Amino acid sequence: MRYEVAVADRDFIVDVDASGRFLIGGEAVAATADEVVRGRQWRIAIDGRTHEVTVLTWDPMRLLVDGTETAASAIDERALAMSPNARAQASGRRELRAPMPGLLRAVHVREGDVVDRDAPIVTLEAMKMENEIRAPARARVTKLAARAGTKVEGGALLVVLSEVD
Amino acid sequence: MSAVAVYSDADRDALHVRLADEAYPIGPAAPRESYLAIDKLIEVARRSSCDAVHPGYGFLSENANFAKAVAEAGMAFVGPPADVQRLLGDKIRARRLAAEAGVPIAEGTNEPLRDLSAAREAARRIGLPLMLKAAGGGGGKGMRVVRDEAELDAAWRLASGEAAGAFGDASLFVERLVENARHVEMQILADAHGAVVWLGERDCSVQRRHQKMIEESPGPAVDDALRARLGDAAVRIARAAQYRNAGTVEFLVDRTGAFHFLEVNTRLQVEHPVTEAVTGLDLVALQFQVAAGERVPFAQGDVTRRGAAVELRVTAEDARAGFVPSSGVIELLRLPSGPGVRVDHALFEGARIPTEYDPLLAKIIVSGRDRAEAIARARRAVNETIVAGLLTSLSFHAHVLRDPDFLAGRYDTGYVASHWDGRASPELEPSAATAAAIAAVLARRRPQVAHGNGVATAWQLAAREDALR
Repeated sequence: MRYEVAVADRDFIVDVDASGRFLIGGEAVAATADEVVRGRQWRIAIDGRTHEVTVLTWDPMRLLVDGTETAASAIDERALAMSPNARAQASGRRELRAPMPGLLRAVHVREGDVVDRDAPIVTLEAMKMENEIRAPARARVTKLAARAGTKVEGGALLVVLSEVD
Repeated sequence: MSAVAVYSDADRDALHVRLADEAYPIGPAAPRESYLAIDKLIEVARRSSCDAVHPGYGFLSENANFAKAVAEAGMAFVGPPADVQRLLGDKIRARRLAAEAGVPIAEGTNEPLRDLSAAREAARRIGLPLMLKAAGGGGGKGMRVVRDEAELDAAWRLASGEAAGAFGDASLFVERLVENARHVEMQILADAHGAVVWLGERDCSVQRRHQKMIEESPGPAVDDALRARLGDAAVRIARAAQYRNAGTVEFLVDRTGAFHFLEVNTRLQVEHPVTEAVTGLDLVALQFQVAAGERVPFAQGDVTRRGAAVELRVTAEDARAGFVPSSGVIELLRLPSGPGVRVDHALFEGARIPTEYDPLLAKIIVSGRDRAEAIARARRAVNETIVAGLLTSLSFHAHVLRDPDFLAGRYDTGYVASHWDGRASPELEPSAATAAAIAAVLARRRPQVAHGNGVATAWQLAAREDALR
């Protein structure tokens, strides 16, 4: 099975062959991986160096690599084949969700707007604080999923952004 | 002494409930119906025959009505009495009191502003930038920076709205904004017999949106002379207010070492362990002693400070995405240890971190013989720590503890804005990046069943639905 993997700013093509060996960029890597905590943490030895990798969260995927937090994504070729958007979803598409239940005070953008990084997208009032949720990067607003003045649940989809060049 | 705890529905499984000798439910998650419900708290205290009530920090810890209700129920309130709380809780009266005690205050208004036009007038007189603040405020709520007169209108609405909601008092005042200043606070302790001592400062300038992230003592910009002047100013304010119990007097210190009074926090601070680490004192035990009518058991001259200490606040916030709140279940936990490392927390694997309350998860307090040793230990401690299942501020701390400006002690309240861009990916060594790529594949290959974070699951479902569209 082939995976398109991104770790921080680097892209990798990782193949896992039938015997469980890893090939990166087509080259076999002498790596051994031990699952330390089921589905959560691995100890990976490469060329005599051992690294501890912990999955902090799945969506978005964040890994803790020897104490350093880094963003990552891994999409297998089937998912890529099924949806040409899968890659964009893994990296270029960003859903802004309500981090906690609250009152959506204001929506500062319209669909189709291109916003700069840190531009305020919505204002969410929660815990008596008005929190401005800002654009994580320069992006296009592809969907507005909530209206100003409405109550939203924690995790509710607010806005979908897509990457622009 | 045995401890009685209270808990809301959201905290039923919380660690404090299990560690307390007795624990009582006080209602639903909404603070108004539980942790802020004075009558329910008094009822539990009565029912369990409490002698004293410690209000902690947050919720009712600076609420004069609560202090009054505790005293009227015949119990000792572990904090300043109601009239002191009321006096210092009004930030405008506190400003006047400081000025009368001969302590410098920032230029500003000493009366509540009647309306927006009064604010405009004050802005023209004092000049921009300025801070619009709630008289009943604190903790960064009801506070707005105004750099341009055009912003005043919106700032007024936001600040008064927040103030009315959070403090039940919409009145605002303005203060000149001192930029590139440090937030330095002085710990004090006072008893009912007239003794007031200061215990040392904490530099709390590493803040975002007026919420402290890192506190340390000694303050990198505080020398013995400035420390003595801050201590003297804090004691003068405490005496003028007839203060009792532990408290913190906050100051802003500019680049020249000039300072002015900000406010008094009439409670134990989140960052009190920093002072405990450098003085060797147990502030909470001292709080109970003076609340019981005992004297402060030492004189000012007996207070010694040794070494340095730094506190890192681990919050349930995605530091790499602008500190948006993060919630979930702690799936994996590894806390640091070793000489000079203290962790105050209530975490355990399986703990569901509720979104209802403050995002503070843990405090890592690290001390050493000097600042460099404390920071080196802090770096190791952060490196050891794993809190998986949600995102935290640990990535921020890992960065700051390697930043040359922080290491040199060169920072002020603008530090986080100018020094933290969470989106830039930290450098990984090639073999670590390869290991991460392999782990990412292994993680994706595993059937993802065990990570039952409600929000994450919703995200995954949405992603899967999208993928099939």
